[in-house]
Amino acid sequence: MRTDTLPHMFLAKVRKYGDRVALREKDLGIWQEISWNEYFRHVRHFCLGLIELGLKPGDHISIFGENEPEWLYADLAAQSAGAVAVGVYPTNPAAEARYVIGHSESSFVVCDDQEQVDKVIEVKSDLPMLKNIIVMDMKGLRNYTDPMIMPFAAVEEIGRDIEEKDPERYYRILEEVRPENVAIMVYTSGTTGPPKGAMLSHANITNFLKNAAPVIPQYDTDEIVSYLPLCHVAERLMSVFFPINSGATVNFAESVETVTQDMRDVLPTFFLAVPRIWEKMMAGVIIKMKDASSLKQTAYRLFQPVGEAMAEARLARRPIPLSLTLKYGLAYLLLLRHLKKELGLLRVRVAVSGAAPIAPEVLKYFHSLGVPVLEGWGMTEETGIATINLPEDVKLGTVGRPIPGVELKIADDGEILLKCGHIFEGYWKDPEATARTIQDGWLYTGDVGELDADGRLKITDRKKEIIITSGGKNIAPSEIENRLKCSPYINEAIVIGDGRKYLTALIQIEYDNVAKWAQERGIAYTTFKSLAQNPEVTEMIREEVNTANREFAQVETIKKFKLLDKELDHDDDELTATLKLRRKTINKKFGHIIEEMYGGKG
Amino acid sequence: MALLEIQDVSLSFGGIKALSDVSLSIEAGELYAVIGPNGAGKTSLLNCISGFYKPDQGRVLFEGRDVIRLRPDQISQLGVARTFQNVELFANMNVIDNMLLGRHHHYKSGFFKNAFLGYLAPEETVHRLKVEEVIDFLEMEQWRKHLVANLPYGVQKRVELGRALAQEPKLLLLDEPMAGMNVEETEDIARFILDIHQELGTTIVMIEHDMHVVMDISQRISVLDFGVKIAEGTPNEVQKNPEVQKAYLGEDFESLMKGESAL
Repeated sequence: MRTDTLPHMFLAKVRKYGDRVALREKDLGIWQEISWNEYFRHVRHFCLGLIELGLKPGDHISIFGENEPEWLYADLAAQSAGAVAVGVYPTNPAAEARYVIGHSESSFVVCDDQEQVDKVIEVKSDLPMLKNIIVMDMKGLRNYTDPMIMPFAAVEEIGRDIEEKDPERYYRILEEVRPENVAIMVYTSGTTGPPKGAMLSHANITNFLKNAAPVIPQYDTDEIVSYLPLCHVAERLMSVFFPINSGATVNFAESVETVTQDMRDVLPTFFLAVPRIWEKMMAGVIIKMKDASSLKQTAYRLFQPVGEAMAEARLARRPIPLSLTLKYGLAYLLLLRHLKKELGLLRVRVAVSGAAPIAPEVLKYFHSLGVPVLEGWGMTEETGIATINLPEDVKLGTVGRPIPGVELKIADDGEILLKCGHIFEGYWKDPEATARTIQDGWLYTGDVGELDADGRLKITDRKKEIIITSGGKNIAPSEIENRLKCSPYINEAIVIGDGRKYLTALIQIEYDNVAKWAQERGIAYTTFKSLAQNPEVTEMIREEVNTANREFAQVETIKKFKLLDKELDHDDDELTATLKLRRKTINKKFGHIIEEMYGGKG
Repeated sequence: MALLEIQDVSLSFGGIKALSDVSLSIEAGELYAVIGPNGAGKTSLLNCISGFYKPDQGRVLFEGRDVIRLRPDQISQLGVARTFQNVELFANMNVIDNMLLGRHHHYKSGFFKNAFLGYLAPEETVHRLKVEEVIDFLEMEQWRKHLVANLPYGVQKRVELGRALAQEPKLLLLDEPMAGMNVEETEDIARFILDIHQELGTTIVMIEHDMHVVMDISQRISVLDFGVKIAEGTPNEVQKNPEVQKAYLGEDFESLMKGESAL
């Protein structure tokens, strides 16, 4: 049996696991199970339905919605038909959705609900290629008369009818899919310019799994929670590629807002989060401990340092004294176990942080709770992971060693170059960008970094984002920003200083936590803006900045800062869909504030 | 036959006439709004329908049956659910329990059977499922177990709407569902009202201050002024009616009707 494409690997797993649980979805408050056989039936029928509606090999279909089993059905159905699945961020406003759907020339768009359908209809006149809008949840759409709208179930029904007449059709179609065909296209949310569509072939995916799976082992007993956007390559790895390779079970969070509760229900064993989420979890624990009963506070004060000592000993690979082991056992029973349970991390075997750089302080905090978070690094353009810290071989501040099959070198200007069997096929309709990115078989990552003596990679920053002060000093802003974001009161920080005498920062407060802080002190405020403009809040943040400053060299310290009086937002073009900073927009929008910090009139 | 017939209803408090000879007829499946300036008698009218006030004269017919002499709980049992201008929930109970209370008169077994004969569990499952359907419908998954007291006002209003829906009413009375909400919350509630109307086919009578929303979503509107019905018709007709314009005299009528200066 072939296993050289993702849908073929999927078929092999269906044969192996049959009625075992493949997916779980919380519906009406109860976790509903979907077996591998049912999963496969949906994929088959949806695939045949799409073909009947006119889907051809090589076509693109956009999937526009939050994580749901139907997202996966549509993804694998498109791939089975030799078509290409393109994810669109559910948070994308209509204009950005139009760009992705239009640029990819998608003939179908699969939406999860009315919200996304409305966005597509708004820009439909600019999308001449679009044949149908297929909708998972028809709620609120009964009165829509647009003939392009079709329920997801109706497409499956068409497919089922075809299968009844010709049961072998799906398999014949699947046989036509070749490893060199493009399987998915991932639009990389550019921090500058419009997003580019990175094409990943079946061979990319299968080669990647061959390289990565042995070092990041996942078993069919593993439980995964799918909650990050599936259009990002990282969640695609977690929810689709890895589980199809291992047979693990994927659980779908009920909604974006319920992830914390769903985590406690599922207690995943294999967990991926982006730095923002790790930071939020950490801030959550710290703030909650301040509110906790004195007994709990005492337990935290006594045992958190024990966890930390244990983490330090383990990280330094020092022998662990018996006394520490005993104390740690007690700490685990009385504190750590409960904290981990509260966070939904009690059973986590493999926890990964990726997609953006994270402060070592945050990682260390989780190690001390007994959750050894492994920081990895990779690019969409090489199918997701290139280097990772392995369990029992973690070095904080580095992103670990390359996974097997990945060759890594540092160019003269510090840029990291990669060579491996899973480098992407290029950017869709953009040969120039492709030629710039792949040269002589090397992938130019755009990240600057260095290798240590043990062959571990340390990322300095994005090449474009390195700040060169007027004194000629090269500074990596993200390192300082991440340190600032370790404070539970700081949500976002933007370090400025390119071509300037000293560094300054724009800081966005963490609304919930600062609001709590203000309430405890009886500081009156009404909105985010009034809170951010309060002088006492500024003083409190100044302390946090000073604390962070102590860990940096003189030139790297923040001399002045201003609090933003609005929350940065994807809708306002200040953040990308993955909530990365768009520095250009921010610099322009808050230019007057920045100038004030450099003595300008503003 | 209309689902709800209000015939010549008058109500006075001492010397103040809250309602004078108001008549309305609402068909099953309608989305109907009652508007009017402050103190026009809108909430009094709603209270007459749901049995909180007894009109001095006139009749209120629900499905052809005069309900004037019935208590609020009896009217509710006939299939009339309502929400209140100021949220009326049990603040120290969680969202699910508040909504389960909306199911109260659907419980078939009484105290004895529940306590001693094990009737409760299977029945409770049915009601819980219904509540879950409403939670799904109103997208409240994240607040299931939260105490109502700890929820923001906009969410509390949604919970109250949820409790009314859990009753599976034939007629839903909404008393200023958008009062005190920000723009985003208002849009959400407007969408939910439309969804309830279209998906569940529930007949809705809504009192609302936010003209913009009323003009946008209602099928028919009647206008009260000092307890008198001065106009009735489609949003378009009502906007053009000179009587209505006079009733809102002193307010910037044009932009008010367009919802521009609603805040």
